[in-house]
Amino acid sequence: MAHDNKMHFELPSKVKTTAYVLMVIGLVAAALGWFADKTDHHQYWWANLLINGFFFFAVALGALFFYALQYAAEVAWSAQLKRIFEAMYSYIPIGLGVIVVVLLMGQFHVHHLYHWMDSEVYNPESPAYDEIIAGKRPYLSAWFFWLRVAVYGAVFIYFARLFRKWSLQEDEVGGTEIHYRFYKKSAVFLVFFAVFSSTLAWDWLMSIDVHWFSTMYGWYVFSGMWVSTMIFATLLVIWLKGRGYLSTVNDSHIHDLGKWMFAVSMLWSYLWFCQYMLIWYSDIPEEVTYFKERYDHYMGGMWAVFFVNFAVPFYALMARDAKRNFKYLTRVGVIIFIGHFADLYMAVVPGTIHGHLEWGFGEGHHTTFVGWFEAGMFVGFLGLFILTVLGTLSKARLVPAKHPFLDESEHHSI
Amino acid sequence: MIKEASIRQPLILGHKTYHDITNDIVSPIEGKAPKQWKIAITIAAIIALYGIGNIMYLVANGIGSWGLNKTVGWAWDITNFVWWVGIGHAGTLISAVLLLFRQRWRMAINRSAEAMTIFAVIMAALFPVFHMGRVWLAYWTLPLPNQFGSLWPNFNSALMWDVFAISTYFSVSLVFWYIGLIPDFATIRDRMVKPRWKKFYSILSFGWSGRAKHWTRFEEVSLVLAGIATPLVFSVHSIVSMDFATSVIPGWHATIFPPYFVSGAIFSGFAMVLTLLLIMRKTMRLEAYIHMKHIEYMNIVIIVTGSIVGVAYLTELFISWYSGVEYESYAFINRFSGPYSWSYWMMMTCNVISPQLFWFKKIRTSLVATFILSIVVNIGMWFERFVIIVTSIHRDYTPGAWGEFHPSTIDIGMFIGTIGIFFTLFLLFARYFPVLALNELKTILKVSGESYKKEDNKKH
Amino acid sequence: MANKVFHVMYDDDQKLLDAAKALVAQGIRVKDVFSPFPVHGLDPVIGVKRTRLAIASFMYATTGTLLATLGTWYFMVSDWDWNIGGKPNFTWIENAPAFVPVMFEFSVFCGAHGMAITYLLRNGTLPGMPASNPDPRTTDDKFVMEIVTEQNESMSASDIEAKIRATDVYELSIKDY
Repeated sequence: MAHDNKMHFELPSKVKTTAYVLMVIGLVAAALGWFADKTDHHQYWWANLLINGFFFFAVALGALFFYALQYAAEVAWSAQLKRIFEAMYSYIPIGLGVIVVVLLMGQFHVHHLYHWMDSEVYNPESPAYDEIIAGKRPYLSAWFFWLRVAVYGAVFIYFARLFRKWSLQEDEVGGTEIHYRFYKKSAVFLVFFAVFSSTLAWDWLMSIDVHWFSTMYGWYVFSGMWVSTMIFATLLVIWLKGRGYLSTVNDSHIHDLGKWMFAVSMLWSYLWFCQYMLIWYSDIPEEVTYFKERYDHYMGGMWAVFFVNFAVPFYALMARDAKRNFKYLTRVGVIIFIGHFADLYMAVVPGTIHGHLEWGFGEGHHTTFVGWFEAGMFVGFLGLFILTVLGTLSKARLVPAKHPFLDESEHHSI
Repeated sequence: MIKEASIRQPLILGHKTYHDITNDIVSPIEGKAPKQWKIAITIAAIIALYGIGNIMYLVANGIGSWGLNKTVGWAWDITNFVWWVGIGHAGTLISAVLLLFRQRWRMAINRSAEAMTIFAVIMAALFPVFHMGRVWLAYWTLPLPNQFGSLWPNFNSALMWDVFAISTYFSVSLVFWYIGLIPDFATIRDRMVKPRWKKFYSILSFGWSGRAKHWTRFEEVSLVLAGIATPLVFSVHSIVSMDFATSVIPGWHATIFPPYFVSGAIFSGFAMVLTLLLIMRKTMRLEAYIHMKHIEYMNIVIIVTGSIVGVAYLTELFISWYSGVEYESYAFINRFSGPYSWSYWMMMTCNVISPQLFWFKKIRTSLVATFILSIVVNIGMWFERFVIIVTSIHRDYTPGAWGEFHPSTIDIGMFIGTIGIFFTLFLLFARYFPVLALNELKTILKVSGESYKKEDNKKH
Repeated sequence: MANKVFHVMYDDDQKLLDAAKALVAQGIRVKDVFSPFPVHGLDPVIGVKRTRLAIASFMYATTGTLLATLGTWYFMVSDWDWNIGGKPNFTWIENAPAFVPVMFEFSVFCGAHGMAITYLLRNGTLPGMPASNPDPRTTDDKFVMEIVTEQNESMSASDIEAKIRATDVYELSIKDY
């Protein structure tokens, strides 16, 4: 390649320090929060750990999904960006680790985010007996639940490592053989993903509101995951370009990333609305509990999340020029990224503390939301995520060397 | 400067020039109608007439001539409606969504798929319209005040949404299709020798001259229409699904319905496109433009959408149990083990299992297998709607009201009739309209044409 | 001196593009180009501006949204409010989710048709309009550039002709008008 491209990304020490500072902020927030959280079993603290654990895991998993999708659909324009997604999905094991910690602690009754983990609810003699949860027992029994967790982890990590290995191999040997292997294997991954993306959303999120059910839920969580992935990837590419990397990535590539941000935001809005509208319209007691919970304590938050995640991308990203203006795209991206974090907050928190948060150092007082604590935790995990992603990014060529679609990707123009 | 990777297969085979493309597609229109076409259209027209006869009988005698009863108040009519609307989804998907995804292979199939869309939507609309009984009062669905007072149609009703959705979808698809046709009609106009036909195509072509500014606008309009039509495609079948999902009937009320219906619609639509195109490419000798790679791509779309539908079936089944709601679970147990279980297993086999055969490259690149499976999928998708509609309502909350549905000859006759009308319209299209988008194919010739690609590869 | 119109025909889009670039570089204004399909990269060369049809469509669609909002409010709330199936229409906002589908469809309806009609009117392509391409082959495989002396007063007709001939011309027709 005769490009004056900076081919290897070097992690600047300044960025490294910043990431560490963010993580320290997170740790401090977590430590203070632990003492301030006066809810039973520090429920709110654990809920926030779950939100952050899942959110960044989802961003990483979404990257693996998008990466596989590029191969399965024979996409060329994104060929130059594949290392970005590889770096993002390298966070999967860490993200999964955080979730497993939360789940394990639930299993050992350190917290009660998951009501169904309490064995009393299955005991007909006990006053805590819950007929509906008892009916779900075959699915929610500990061995089956943990088997699923193990399978998700094994499958995601297996494919993530395999793809990364092949990708680095391709840089050495070239040719098309690896490319076709990718094509086949990514289709296989997508099959697993199609099922697991739904079931893991049921297992880890939907089961918080354990009486409630919605067939749409898995796809709705998936769309939120995907849009967060696309935003993070876009922001990362823009940031790298600003530092003089990825010189062959042109406006058209950014435009396409912006289109994905826009399109998946609309997909999310569509799924959110359909789920809400159908439940609202039928008004069946079994189903409305979910929105009732949110209406009672989080009405403003719920609608704010919907409007930010729908209206902001819709109006801000519709125009062609908007998706080619790096600064503008970054600003909009940051807003929706936080918007989708808040969406996950809305999915988790109402079912865990039911609007009754006791908070404060010393004497606790009643509130629904803190501010510095949630932000601090988010920032801490963001630091960890950035550090992991950039760390992986610096370990290999920034642009693959011998991808068969590289030529087409470099000539990308729309 | 756009470049296509050398490992991509060419989309236009052989050594074609711009003139060859025009020739290959326009000459069948200029020539005399082949005998096979005459035979085919005669058969289709007879079936169509039979259908029209059935419709006339229905209008004269009322909805009682269908097999509906007080428990099963919706059955074949609405099944057929949803089936046809579903088929009508592939066309706009191919022309709009695949345009946004810059899938060049769509250019060989979009024109006929869009035509299919339009005809399928017309067929679909027949069913609810005639279900009204007094069809001459169909305009009551429009927001006009009732002449006896200020009553308006109910905008809270999913049926009312459907009126807006279907009419918007139909008219926008028609406009999208026609705007693409205008330049191609101009090509035919400029070649036609017979004065009467020249006049005919001259009117159809709206005086298109191919000016630079007009082409710029043409491309912008196509892109924006595609951008608008994409959410439209999603919304239309979502709204169709809401006819069921907004209700409180177990088996109908599921939040997954909108996206799952959309996926099912694309699935059946692609199957129908394949059925039609496999015949068309053969009889009209379009093998250079619609070749194995196109068919393979379409089969992959079928695997993807079929699998999404499969995941949705299983999700519904699982959640019906997980919900712990007795009625919800029963609706599904009744589906797979009740009196209509045969239709449920038919649906599962045709829609979930059969498309998985396309994972084998041998099967998805076999014309015969593709043709058979495309028909199997269409049968399966008809049964899907039948299963959803009939099995959910034939057993009411009170067992005293349980019933079954048996189609009458009018039900069957009207359904078969719509197939006849559909094929009549499609055959007329294939005879008099350019079946491939000429001007669009010309834009990809140098990028994806076989001979051009070969030359380009030699340079490297 | 009579005004002259040059119809310069090329048999390939690349040749046309090269010629257009060469002629424009020599100060010749190209009046129009007739081609069988959109030639990419031509617009900026011959000075065709970006179209604003997309903005028009957005405005039509917004009008549709407003009309549908107003309509559902008037029909269902203001003029005659019903209580249908326990869903009373006493305020618009309480029922808004049920109105969204119609609002969406109507916006799309207005956006698409408004733009399509504007497109046809602006182009002057309407039923019964006569074709104005100089040669019937331009809808098949030939590309014609139209140059008029009126727009190139600084040069003589023979000058222009010489410059045109220097490009890879397939056919050239010169007419007085």
